[in-house]
Amino acid sequence: MIINGIQIDDTFAEAFNMRGTRVIITAQNHKWAYHAANAMTGFATSVIGCGVEAGIERELSADETPDGRPGVSILMFAMGSKVLMQQLETRMGQCILTCPTAAAFAGIDTGADIDQISLGKHLRYFGDGYQISKLIAGKRYWRIPVMDGEFLTQETTGMVRAIGGGNFLILATSQPAALHAAETAIEAMRKVPNVIMPFPGGVVRSGSKVGSKYPKMFASTNDAFCPTLKGLVNSELSDDIESVMEIVIDGLTFEDIATSMQVGIQAICNLNKSNTEASGVKRISAGNYGGKLGPHHFKLHEIMGATP
Amino acid sequence: MSALTFTPKKSVAQAIDCRLLTPDHLADLTVPQIENLRLLNTKNAPKIADCFDVSGTNAAHIVIHNTHHQLNYIGHQMTKGQITIEGNCGDFLGSQMRGGTIICHGNANDRVGDQMRRGLILIDGNAGDYCASRLVAGTIGVFGEVGKYVGFAMKRGTILLTKTPPLHATIQNCGTHTLPFLALLFTSFQVLSTRFNTLKNLSVIRFSGDLACNGNGEILICQRDISA
Repeated sequence: MIINGIQIDDTFAEAFNMRGTRVIITAQNHKWAYHAANAMTGFATSVIGCGVEAGIERELSADETPDGRPGVSILMFAMGSKVLMQQLETRMGQCILTCPTAAAFAGIDTGADIDQISLGKHLRYFGDGYQISKLIAGKRYWRIPVMDGEFLTQETTGMVRAIGGGNFLILATSQPAALHAAETAIEAMRKVPNVIMPFPGGVVRSGSKVGSKYPKMFASTNDAFCPTLKGLVNSELSDDIESVMEIVIDGLTFEDIATSMQVGIQAICNLNKSNTEASGVKRISAGNYGGKLGPHHFKLHEIMGATP
Repeated sequence: MSALTFTPKKSVAQAIDCRLLTPDHLADLTVPQIENLRLLNTKNAPKIADCFDVSGTNAAHIVIHNTHHQLNYIGHQMTKGQITIEGNCGDFLGSQMRGGTIICHGNANDRVGDQMRRGLILIDGNAGDYCASRLVAGTIGVFGEVGKYVGFAMKRGTILLTKTPPLHATIQNCGTHTLPFLALLFTSFQVLSTRFNTLKNLSVIRFSGDLACNGNGEILICQRDISA
């Protein structure tokens, strides 16, 4: 498949089952909501080393938040519910409780059929006996006295089954071209709800393969896509490819990730609308492990075939 | 479904114990069954039909019309649903309440929310003495004035007022604060059509008490006139 001069490989991205949650963070203004959200989603690029993958889903206006203040919606994913609970509690305590004027609310319905994990349920003990519970419209909140006034948090948020590891690779003739294409894709993908791109700026330059020549390493550089190793290894890259960038996507459902990938790839292809050489992007590929590890396969041709 | 409605009969002049008129007791009962219930569990207690005209079907929302100050114990021990009082009511409104909502569009007598543990009581008018006495938790709002000893022996819970009443010695002034949870609380009031709908300002004077009972309760004096 070729779109505007860019070859779309007949391959697929391989993704895994995860557990996910959403937290709505509000503050006096967007500046402080972002301070809290950036801290909360910091060091959360990959479950390999961080425990969770987290990112800002989107900015929320005052009329979209429970307390009528500007806010930010964040998504957080982990391989299991236990890790997700631990990480959420830790990050709530260190990043949201500490951030001036910030408050936290459930971003996924707290209905009876949804698994609940603690948001402020245990954090309330920071109040040292002065914490106050309020049940408002059927939802329990905790008011914890802090030095700037009161920290307000909902007791729990919902946890749902999710998918992590959707991805695609951008193969370009130069590093600036690959990065520009990746930035263009990320800008478009940020408008898709229910997904995050957890890596710095949404882009990964160090894609990995399973295993290593060193016994203690369980992941190492994806040599088949490293341009400087052309000629040394069984490379996937042609002579004209000088740089590869990867975009990894975590989402609440298969459809959310598929939509996000389609929007991102299409945005890159649109760079070549008037001139098929304009972007410097030659190919779009995807990362997988032969299809044996992850149950979710995002086939690039099927995804892009859905393009109107 | 229309709200289950009770209208006191004019011929009844004595005080009436209304503790039976809650969504908990009347759920799934027909109007004839309700009319046949005795107001108290005693041999000579009057039946509901002796004191009230009954209509409607939805026991989750009980409306009491043409009320007066001799209707006591409305909402006693209720755990769910809503009671709307279209007028004044007597003593012990919402006493030992465990959940649900009581709206009073008139005045309430003494001991509103006595030993209440959960739920919401909003009174558009005034409340008598010992409002929120022995309050365990929950929220009580009085838009008008309250009598003496508001929050007497309260342990936790929130009392919303719009004027600072005379307070007893074990209620302490904590100063003026902007409390973010009030945004959620005021928003939740919007569906209840009371005078509390007009409250917007999150800045309140906070009193804490009753210090004789740990002092984890609070009386918040809301500002009526200044918008947020």
